[in-house]
Amino acid sequence: MKRSLAILLLASVACGSLHARIELPEWDSAADAGSYSLGGGLWPERLIPGGASENRAVAETDPDFVGPPAPPLPSPDTGLAGTEAPAVPSSPGPFYGPVAGTEEGPDLSLQRVRENPDGTFTVPEEEVAEVEAYEPLPPLEGELADLYFAHAPVEFLIDPQRLLTEQKSNDIMRFLEFHSDESKIRIYIMSFGENQKIPADIDIQALHQKWFSDSPAVLMLYYREQPQLTELVFNESIRDSLPKSVFDRILQNCLREGAVADLAPDQVEKMAIELSIQLYWLSRLMEQEKDGGKALERASSIHELVASPDAPELLREYAPGIFIDENGKALTFVLAVVFILGGLAAVGCVAWVVMWWRGRENVSGEPLLFPEFRIAHRLGGEYCGGGFVSMSFELNEGSA
Amino acid sequence: MKCPRCLRPVDHEAASCYSCGYSEADAAAVFGANQVLLNRVHDAAHCLRKQERDTLGETLDMLEVKFPQMLFCVYLGALPPKLGLSELGFWLLNHGQVKGAEYARPNENGILVVMDLNRKQIGISLGYFAETLISEEDAYRALTAARPNLVNSEFGEAIERIFLKLGKVLDRQGRKLKKLTREQLQATLSGAKNTLLDLPPHLSPPKLLPKPPSQEDDARVSELMSA
Repeated sequence: MKRSLAILLLASVACGSLHARIELPEWDSAADAGSYSLGGGLWPERLIPGGASENRAVAETDPDFVGPPAPPLPSPDTGLAGTEAPAVPSSPGPFYGPVAGTEEGPDLSLQRVRENPDGTFTVPEEEVAEVEAYEPLPPLEGELADLYFAHAPVEFLIDPQRLLTEQKSNDIMRFLEFHSDESKIRIYIMSFGENQKIPADIDIQALHQKWFSDSPAVLMLYYREQPQLTELVFNESIRDSLPKSVFDRILQNCLREGAVADLAPDQVEKMAIELSIQLYWLSRLMEQEKDGGKALERASSIHELVASPDAPELLREYAPGIFIDENGKALTFVLAVVFILGGLAAVGCVAWVVMWWRGRENVSGEPLLFPEFRIAHRLGGEYCGGGFVSMSFELNEGSA
Repeated sequence: MKCPRCLRPVDHEAASCYSCGYSEADAAAVFGANQVLLNRVHDAAHCLRKQERDTLGETLDMLEVKFPQMLFCVYLGALPPKLGLSELGFWLLNHGQVKGAEYARPNENGILVVMDLNRKQIGISLGYFAETLISEEDAYRALTAARPNLVNSEFGEAIERIFLKLGKVLDRQGRKLKKLTREQLQATLSGAKNTLLDLPPHLSPPKLLPKPPSQEDDARVSELMSA
C-alpha cells in the first residue's frame, strides 16, 4: 500500500514538472512596444546610434525576438513616425550626451570587422587620407619681394604670403609687441617658404642697417618648417659689443627650440619666445658691459669679463667662459695669499721652535752620572794626556 | 791625541811624544813640578767684570749640579810669547788643584778653558775622562759658537756659551751611554778599538825588498872578478 502511494506521488510530481514553464515578461500589446525607448528617455532616440532601427528590423523578421522594440523612425515632417511616441524631448536644448553620427563611435569600426568561417577576423583597410603637400610657392621676385624688402616693416611679423595660421600669427604678433614694450631690442620675423630664397641682389645686413640703424632690433629669417635655416640679423653695434660666441649661442638655443615643434606656426612661436629670453639676457649683458666693462675689457681678455652678480644659470649656460666672477677670483687670490703666508709663517714658527730647541743652551734636568772606568795614562800625565783644542779669535787669523 | 808641543799624533799609551819626546816631565821643567791652587774661574788677566764672573759662576754651578762628576774651570791669562797654550793646559790639569772641587771631581774629569789674551787664543784642555765624552769636533764647535763674543771682547759670555755647549754635548753623550750594554760601554770608553796610533794611512807605496842573488848572478860576478 505504501509502495503504491509512493509511486503515485512520484508520478504526479513528474507530470507537474513536465508541464511547468518559465514565466517571462511579455509586452502588453504591439502598440505599447513602440513606446519603449532605449535609454529610458534620457536623450533623444534619434541620437542613439543604430540600435533602435536594427532592433526594429530584427523584430519584424524574427518572431522569437525578445529584445526591446525599436522606436519609430523620425520623419522629416513630424520628427517622429509613431503617433503614440513618448514625450521625448525634441527641442534643441543643451545636450551633453553622445553625439550621433560622429566617426569616433566604436560601433562603426566594429561593424566593419567581419568574422571568417575559420574563426579569424577580416579588418577592412582604411583609406588613409594623405596630407596634402604645400603648394609650391613662387620665387621671391617682383612684387612679392617688394612686399618683404621694399619698405621697413611696420609689424613685427612679416608674413605677406600667409604661411602661418591666422590665429598663431595674431598670437605671435601680440607676443612680439609685448616683447618690444619690455625689451630694448625688438624682434622682427620674416617668414619665407621652405624653397624660397632671398634674392641675390638684396643684402639683408644692409637692409637691417638701413631699417634699424637708430634702434636695436633683431631680424629673424624663418623658412617654413625648416628651422635649421633660420638666420638672425643683429645690429652692427650689438655685434661689435659682444663676442661672436654669444650670438652663436643665441642662435643655437633658438634652433633647438624650433626643432621641438613640427608645424611652422609652433616653430615660429617657440623660436620667438626663446629669442626674447635670449635678448633679455643679452641686454643685461650689454648694460653690464657699459657700466664698467670697457676698461676691464681692454685690460683683460674676453674670458675675464665680470658677470652680473645675479646672473642665473641660463646666462652662464651660453657664455660660461666669459662670466668669471671677478669678486670670487679676487677672493680666491686673497685666500691663496693668506694661505701661503700663513703656511710660511707656520713653517717658520715650527723651524724657529726646532732651532731654538736644538740650540738652547740651558742644561737642566736630573743630575747625570757617567759610568766610571780607568784609562791608561800617556805622556806621563796623571790627569791629562794633552787633549787640547784651541782656536784663535784674532780677526785676521784662522783657527789653530 | 796630539802632542801638546808639536801637535803630532800620539798613541794613547805613549810615555812621551814619538816626534819631539815631550812628556809631563818637560812640562814640569818649564812650569814647575809643584801643585798650584786654582780658582774655578781663575782670571789672571783680570778681564772679567764682577757681573760676568758671577753669571759665569752661576752657570758653572748649574753644570756641576747636572754633572756631579765633572770639573769645570777657567784660566784667563796674558801668557808670554814662547809659552804654548796647549802646554799650559796640559800642565794645569796635571798640577792644578781647583778650589772647592770635591773628591768626586778629580782633574781627570776636568774641562779647562784656557785663554791667552796676548795672542787672542782660546783652548780647551780635557782630562782623560773628559776626553772620552767630548770629541775634538764637539770642543771645536763649542769654541766656534763663542767666537762672536770673543771678537767683541765679551769674554764672560763667551766662556759661558762654551761651557753650555759642552754641557749639551755631555748631556747627549750621557743619554747615549745609557743605551749601551756593558760590553759596548767598555769598548767605547776604554778605546779598545783604537789601540794603535790613530795615524792616517800612508799614501806612498811600500818599499819593495831587494831580490836575493841568484846562481847566474854569482857566476857572472865570478867571471868579472877573474877578468
